[in-house]
Amino acid sequence: MSEIALENLGKSFGDFTALADMNLTIANGEFMALLGPSGCGKSTTMNMIAGMLRPSSGTIKFNGLDVVDVPMAKRGVGFVFQNYAIFTHMSVRENLAYGLRAQGVRAGEMTKRVQAFAELLQLEPMLDRPAAGLSVNILQRLAIGRSAILEPAIFLLDEPLSNVDAAFRAVMRSELKSLQGQFGQTMVYVTHDQLEAMTMADRIAVMDHGKLLQVGTPLEIYNNPADTFVARFIGAPGMNILNGRLTQQADTVAVDLPGLGSVALPPALQAAAARLTTPDVLVGFRPEQINAAKAGLTMHVGFVERIGARTIVHMEQGAASAKAVLLSEVETPKARKDWTFAVPDDAIRLLDPVTGQALVGRPN
Amino acid sequence: MTEVTTLMPATKKAETQANSAARLGLWLTLPAQLLVLFIALFPILMQVYISLTDWSPLDGIPWWRAYELWIGLLNYTDLMADSRFWGALWRTLFVMLVCVPVQFLLGLGLAVLFVDDFRGKRVLYSTLLVPMMVVPAVAGYMFFMLFQSGGPVNDLLSFFTSEPVRIAWLSDPDLALIAVMVADIWQWTPLMFLILLAGMISVPQDQQMAAILLGASWWRRFFTIVLPRMKSIIIIALAIRVIEIFKIFDTLFIMTGGGPGVATETISVYIYKVTQQELIWSYVAAIALAILIVLSVVSVFAIKRMQRGQDG
Ligand SMILES: Nc1ncnc2c1ncn2[C@@H]1O[C@H](COP(=O)(O)OP(=O)(O)OP(=O)(O)O)[C@@H](O)[C@H]1O
Ligand SMILES: [Mg+2]
Repeated sequence: MSEIALENLGKSFGDFTALADMNLTIANGEFMALLGPSGCGKSTTMNMIAGMLRPSSGTIKFNGLDVVDVPMAKRGVGFVFQNYAIFTHMSVRENLAYGLRAQGVRAGEMTKRVQAFAELLQLEPMLDRPAAGLSVNILQRLAIGRSAILEPAIFLLDEPLSNVDAAFRAVMRSELKSLQGQFGQTMVYVTHDQLEAMTMADRIAVMDHGKLLQVGTPLEIYNNPADTFVARFIGAPGMNILNGRLTQQADTVAVDLPGLGSVALPPALQAAAARLTTPDVLVGFRPEQINAAKAGLTMHVGFVERIGARTIVHMEQGAASAKAVLLSEVETPKARKDWTFAVPDDAIRLLDPVTGQALVGRPN
Repeated sequence: MTEVTTLMPATKKAETQANSAARLGLWLTLPAQLLVLFIALFPILMQVYISLTDWSPLDGIPWWRAYELWIGLLNYTDLMADSRFWGALWRTLFVMLVCVPVQFLLGLGLAVLFVDDFRGKRVLYSTLLVPMMVVPAVAGYMFFMLFQSGGPVNDLLSFFTSEPVRIAWLSDPDLALIAVMVADIWQWTPLMFLILLAGMISVPQDQQMAAILLGASWWRRFFTIVLPRMKSIIIIALAIRVIEIFKIFDTLFIMTGGGPGVATETISVYIYKVTQQELIWSYVAAIALAILIVLSVVSVFAIKRMQRGQDG
């Protein structure tokens, strides 16, 4: 059981900064997802936690102890590689037993543990098959089993499911979750698939360009993104962000969206809006929170995408574009027509147009 | 059903067409193939032919009329009883059994050092490869000088034992072979090193990382990951050196000329002497064939092992 603390962690390769000033504390037994687009420094972070890379700056602490100078073999970290790094010249059994053997576990105990894990991960039928030539799905389980069998206090997984098919991914999501429930390791899980992060993680750390942008529970991140990147990255499709101008109406502030109409601000955002020095502001709202209405905002419907249970409406108005996700067919507007919809007050988010940061005073 | 029945003859037809196209191709390339086969096999077939006769260029008849001197397998039965041949073969095997393992272990050790980065690696790397580039005849002269009784090797030994050492390395029947083997090891360890380093570099880095993270020590990783994954390349390196040892000639001949007596006479030196000094060409052909057969068996064995290694 371990708590991981990253303090001002940074890594540069020559002139290139792969990770800058990362501060993140991962609680004991927590399932933390590192989420971000390709090349944002997720693997770099993981490799530093595991000890494969030395930080250029900052420290890493396990349970309050600085481990930067602890060699990776001594950190007690389980690691599942993106490409699995299975020992293909060995059998499945030898792969599973490798760590136990290296740590000098007695033969009897070893056989028992290997058997137990083979059953847990449904690897039993192929225990004595050579690992070379097994399907990706099996290699994937084997890679997890090979590390998990040592019951490490910290378990790091670098995009473990990115190479497997969608159906198997769904199965593994729940299996990984139950594996963690069983052993209670502190898990750090790298992914660029937000569905994986949202469904499995206790908390998500969203990264971009070597920076940590936001840490929070999946719902916090979904409901209150910290900036425009997180707002657009989380959700499928992401949050609509439109340019607006604050207008004073009697004693309340509203936002005028040029060409679309205007929305009232919820009380919680009034104060935040008042702190802005210019009237320009970014207005954000989730496509799922749009409803058809008699009055509200009006946009031109470009095309309508029907994907089973949901319908995605693509809309434009001047330079602005937005999407709506509707659940009922009755509400769905016609393509190439104007459509009027409403956004509930509490769905409105304001962001600073200069910094891209969300304006605090978030309503819930 | 109708679809199937109409389809069947169509595919059959296509098959026969493909077959006849293939046969036409065979006919068209046949002359070239025969030529290649002839070029590859002619010297060997000629040797087989000559080795069954008592022909020598001094007999005054062209080689193709050697059948007039037909002696059947007599050369081979002579060979079986030729103690100088067996002595040379045994000496060659001895050199092989000493030099190849030593070169392998040194090469492997160097590869282990050079697979990681360290300061001055590039310079040292180039330096280490120099012996391999030296023309074997030149290497022969170098070691001939080094092992003179007043040469640097003895000087070095004198320095360490602090009493004058005057060993006549190259004229002592027991020591000459050692000197020759030292020269071979000096010259050919770099090749072993080069091949093994290439193999070691190609062992996937992430597998080694995975092994470290699972708690494996350096030795465990070396024996369970690195070496097994280098299996094919190791077999290639060993096979190359084994075959080369059978051909060992220039360096050795310049250092000792096969002597003193026959103390350093290996197969190649023996064949050279029989050809040049005794001019029994048909007998030489028999020896050469015998060696070819031995080497072929060794190579086939090595390749079989290698294929099995890759499957497993
Ligand atoms: N050894 C290295 N030398 C130079 N640049 C590197 C090195 N390792 C990573 N980088 C760079 O650092 C950045 C972050 O890489 P990293 O592997 O952490 O990305 P990632 O978030 O894991 O992406 P992906 O989802 O593609 O795996 C990338 O732009 C990459 O090119
Ligand atoms: Mg990565």
